[in-house]
Amino acid sequence: MTKNFKERFLIPAFNTLLPVISALFLGGIIIFAIGDNPFKTYGVMISKSLFTVDGILKTLHFASPLILTGLAIAITFKANVFNMGVEGQMLLGAFFSGVFGFSFDLPPLLHISLCLIVGVITGILFALIPAFLKAFFKVNEMVVTLMLNYAAVEITRYLAQGVFRNPASGDVATYTINSSAMFNKVGKNITAFFLISILVFIFIYILMKKSKLGYEITAIGKNEEFAKASGMRVYRKIIYIMMISGGISGLAGAGWMMSEKYRYTTSFSGNPGIGWDGMLIALLGAHNPVGVLIAAIFYAALKTGSDYINLYTNVPKDIVGVIQGILILFLSIKFINDKTDFLGRMRQRLKSIRGSKGATRI
Amino acid sequence: MSLINNILYDTVYHSAPLILLVLGGIFAYKANVLNIALEGMMLLGAFSSAYFVLITKSLLWGIIVGVILTLILGLIFSYFSVTLKSNFIITGLGINMFTLALSGFLLQFFSIPNINVSSIVSTANLKIDIPFLKDIPIIAPILSGHTFLTYFSFVCIFLAGVLMFKTKFGTYVRVVGENEEAAKSVGIKSDRIKYLAVLIGAFLCALAGANLSVERTALYTNNMTAGRGFIAIAAIYCGRGMPVKSTLYATVFGLTKSLSINLALNAGPVSGLFETVPYVMMVIVLGVVSAIESRRTKLR
Amino acid sequence: MKVIKTINLTKKFGDFIANDNINLEIEKGSITAIMGENGAGKTTLMNMFYGLSKPTSGELLINGKKANFKSPQDAIKCGLGMVHQHFKLVPGLTVFENILLGTEITAGPFIDTMKEIKEVSKLITEYKFELNPKDKVSDISIGAKQRVEILKMLYRKVDILIFDEPTAVLTPQEVDELLQSFRELKKQGKTIILITHKLREIMEVSDEVIVIKKGKIVGNVKTSKTNPKELANMMVGRDVVLDVSKREKDFSTSKVLYKVENLKTENDLGKTVVDNISFEIREGEILGVCGVEGNGQSELVKLLTGLMEKTEGKVFLNGEDITGMWPDELRKKGLAFIPEDRYAQGLCRDMSLSDNIIAGYHSGEKYCSFGLLKRKEITKTRDELIDFYDIRISEREGNISSLSGGNAQKVIIAREFDADPKVIIASQPTRGVDIGSIEFIYKKILELREKGKGILLVSSELSEIMSLSDRIIVMYKGKIVGQVDGKTATKEKLGLLMAGVR
Repeated sequence: MTKNFKERFLIPAFNTLLPVISALFLGGIIIFAIGDNPFKTYGVMISKSLFTVDGILKTLHFASPLILTGLAIAITFKANVFNMGVEGQMLLGAFFSGVFGFSFDLPPLLHISLCLIVGVITGILFALIPAFLKAFFKVNEMVVTLMLNYAAVEITRYLAQGVFRNPASGDVATYTINSSAMFNKVGKNITAFFLISILVFIFIYILMKKSKLGYEITAIGKNEEFAKASGMRVYRKIIYIMMISGGISGLAGAGWMMSEKYRYTTSFSGNPGIGWDGMLIALLGAHNPVGVLIAAIFYAALKTGSDYINLYTNVPKDIVGVIQGILILFLSIKFINDKTDFLGRMRQRLKSIRGSKGATRI
Repeated sequence: MSLINNILYDTVYHSAPLILLVLGGIFAYKANVLNIALEGMMLLGAFSSAYFVLITKSLLWGIIVGVILTLILGLIFSYFSVTLKSNFIITGLGINMFTLALSGFLLQFFSIPNINVSSIVSTANLKIDIPFLKDIPIIAPILSGHTFLTYFSFVCIFLAGVLMFKTKFGTYVRVVGENEEAAKSVGIKSDRIKYLAVLIGAFLCALAGANLSVERTALYTNNMTAGRGFIAIAAIYCGRGMPVKSTLYATVFGLTKSLSINLALNAGPVSGLFETVPYVMMVIVLGVVSAIESRRTKLR
Repeated sequence: MKVIKTINLTKKFGDFIANDNINLEIEKGSITAIMGENGAGKTTLMNMFYGLSKPTSGELLINGKKANFKSPQDAIKCGLGMVHQHFKLVPGLTVFENILLGTEITAGPFIDTMKEIKEVSKLITEYKFELNPKDKVSDISIGAKQRVEILKMLYRKVDILIFDEPTAVLTPQEVDELLQSFRELKKQGKTIILITHKLREIMEVSDEVIVIKKGKIVGNVKTSKTNPKELANMMVGRDVVLDVSKREKDFSTSKVLYKVENLKTENDLGKTVVDNISFEIREGEILGVCGVEGNGQSELVKLLTGLMEKTEGKVFLNGEDITGMWPDELRKKGLAFIPEDRYAQGLCRDMSLSDNIIAGYHSGEKYCSFGLLKRKEITKTRDELIDFYDIRISEREGNISSLSGGNAQKVIIAREFDADPKVIIASQPTRGVDIGSIEFIYKKILELREKGKGILLVSSELSEIMSLSDRIIVMYKGKIVGQVDGKTATKEKLGLLMAGVR
């Protein structure tokens, strides 16, 4: 029982917290290096995002798309499929839900639902390109999705500059969506989009933990050959997984469009984009739905807080991106292995040092 | 005629940094540490060389500092992926995001939209005409009048081939990638080989970055590498890490890029869409190559 | 002179004692066999000799000097080399490149290929080996690969050679050639240590035998003063001859259960690897397939288990065409599989016992309804199977990685046999498992035979094929080169067929 507890909770917790602390520490050094106070900077970030009701709501609002992109990547990572195209699928989903949002005037509930569906379908369709290439021609999905991201950026830019451009707007932007397609703000910051994200989270949780498909995803991720020999049509499953992932990504974009941005601009996704944040969140949450939920809220807090640091310090808000990069770097290694415990290894190392000293003395 | 000339000249021009990236990536690819961080390394090379040209007021010193910094980044990548045995794909993506964020962060901090070194570097003077070649009618306007690093990149194809197949180091790189156990069993320090393979990559990425920012346009703009690192990875996949074959695929990108730019000039309203062509083209090439390769396989 | 001497050599892994106070001496120019069961500690001992692991306590003396090897390179420098069971070769390089790997001859910055080929050719003639230095290693036979490994060591001027299970993958005739090389090497003054559990080789070639059991030396005798029976008794503590008494049957009237017609497929390079294979299995019959590894058996099994596509041919079960079906469909039709590589295709190490027990059957009504898994039902079945098949696991919730090889194989047996299949395709069912589990697996296979199931048994262990099969087909270069009746089969007969001699 104790061993189980250690394996299931302590080691994962340590493996998550250590990289976070290290990344924040290095980020602190960078802040210090440009002549600012890291404690003050982090203090502002946390207090503005977590210590007030408004702040918490805003954090949860920011977390809504991040939960989705995090889940979208986590489900593919779990199957050892690298859908790095979540950003592009999200952007296209957002764009076309936006187009649907300003092109039609429908009763709110219907309009919102249809807009979300447009986003989901766009995401799925765009994810199907790498999925089919992988399934039929064994093309490496990672490289394809990475490149299609750039294509997605260029396509949306082109469309936003041309056909769907709002001439009244100064910069490149589409028309604003009609109010019937907007999520109403509950209070100051949060919308029903958060609720949708939570529903998707519950769905994915059940899918991953209880369902046959979840079992198959895990098997494919852990040992593809075994999965094949056990009768799973791996490539067909990969298409399903990519469709789920793309759909959720599209939903993230559509929801963000309808609850926050209301129109498409070239800086819709921010820097780094919501899809890229999803990768960090999936890693931080160890590909586990609950982990993803917590990680998304944590990261949303950082992002929300970063909006305020300019007001109080000279630190550019891109510091969050820097910390994010460092954090991913640290998350790529396992501080503690599942099998060997950290303390045991340290003890072993000490012993071997002592042992070798003893040997030289003789 | 001049359009075709332009297209071909631009093909060489756009292929050059890609070739450097591809050659930088093949050694790591062959040694089984796929360097997905080519993009980030190139970006750092572009950013730091531009920035240090600005600081040192010297093209050469700027590039040297850029190379050194990128090598340090290469060391970080190899420390994580070789020594700490990380998931090197994730490490590489982390490095890409880190360099992109850091360069953006620093631009914000300096409160400048981009790094313009045109007052120090005259791009026109960097173009070198090759004696004899420049007098040959049709070829001259295509092959002559490029910058030093552009020529260097083509020389590198040959150098990389020799290094890969005629020397101990190259043999060891291939052995480490093919059967690391075998390499270790005869005393080859496989970790060291992997470090070197990554560092060669970092060095060439830095040059590719410098070529892109200071040497060509004397300007660094945010995220100017625009996925070239990933395209290089695709080219390496297509060419299976063989120097000549992989660089050929890189020139396919150069050609499409050049076509999209030159044709966009006459394309009117849809010209914006041409930007996507190189990426889509690479996806198609990758698909075709993989389809041909997997055509024979009877394994499900 | 003693070239190797150990004094109380001990190796512990945590609380487990793999080698317990080993004291032995090996004479120069002799051939010493070290024998013992799987897991007896032979490999651990050799790893200490070869610098792959460090002794916990005790001393190792090479040529009278205390050895403290940190790596195989130290061992090689001391004149001690090892030929591993799994070759450490680079398939993409040529024979000479492999032999000189790590000690390339250079001219300036470049490798001097011409000189390298010359050196290697010289070495090949010196030791009378049959090899072409310019061949690519991926293209040569297993026996030739082994010769490359030996030359790799000889080039490095070693005079003590350790062979780890060298005959496991060879045909009987290749074994004879290898034993001949041993005698040649001995004549040239080399000392040979042979790790094996095969009695025939020991009796034929060795001067001395050291028997290891559970990490301890339980016997050390001159070969001339012992006999196979005594050695076998020392090794396992009882008679090793497995009891595979099976009921005689006459199949002439039995129904054909499984039928393969003109099956063909090719590998990635377009080479035909399964060539026109036809056979049938009748009810209650065990059909053995043997051949030297790499002659198409793996591909045949992949074809029959739905992991590979055919180019030509048909497969029938009970007269129904099941050609080209996927593994899930085949299972539904009543086939069961024991795959060749336990941890690649059979089990997932990092998943729990429950998750492995349902694999392949997880879509069925028993374990799944409305897309959700019935966890309670699964746990119940798991506990039943653990008890029924006597699977030893410390923690029922634990992962497969915590099981021993024999117990892991029992998990596969439990899963596949529990589904009550009509036909079982078993590939290397006893590879790397202990004697106790082998007995258990034989018993289960024979039980199925009694129940009238059809069994295809693919194995590289000739004795296994011979004692279990009713009929044996031999594969060579993808083709069936001969069929032998199980009762009249001999090693020599099969060996010739395996080498392609009709």
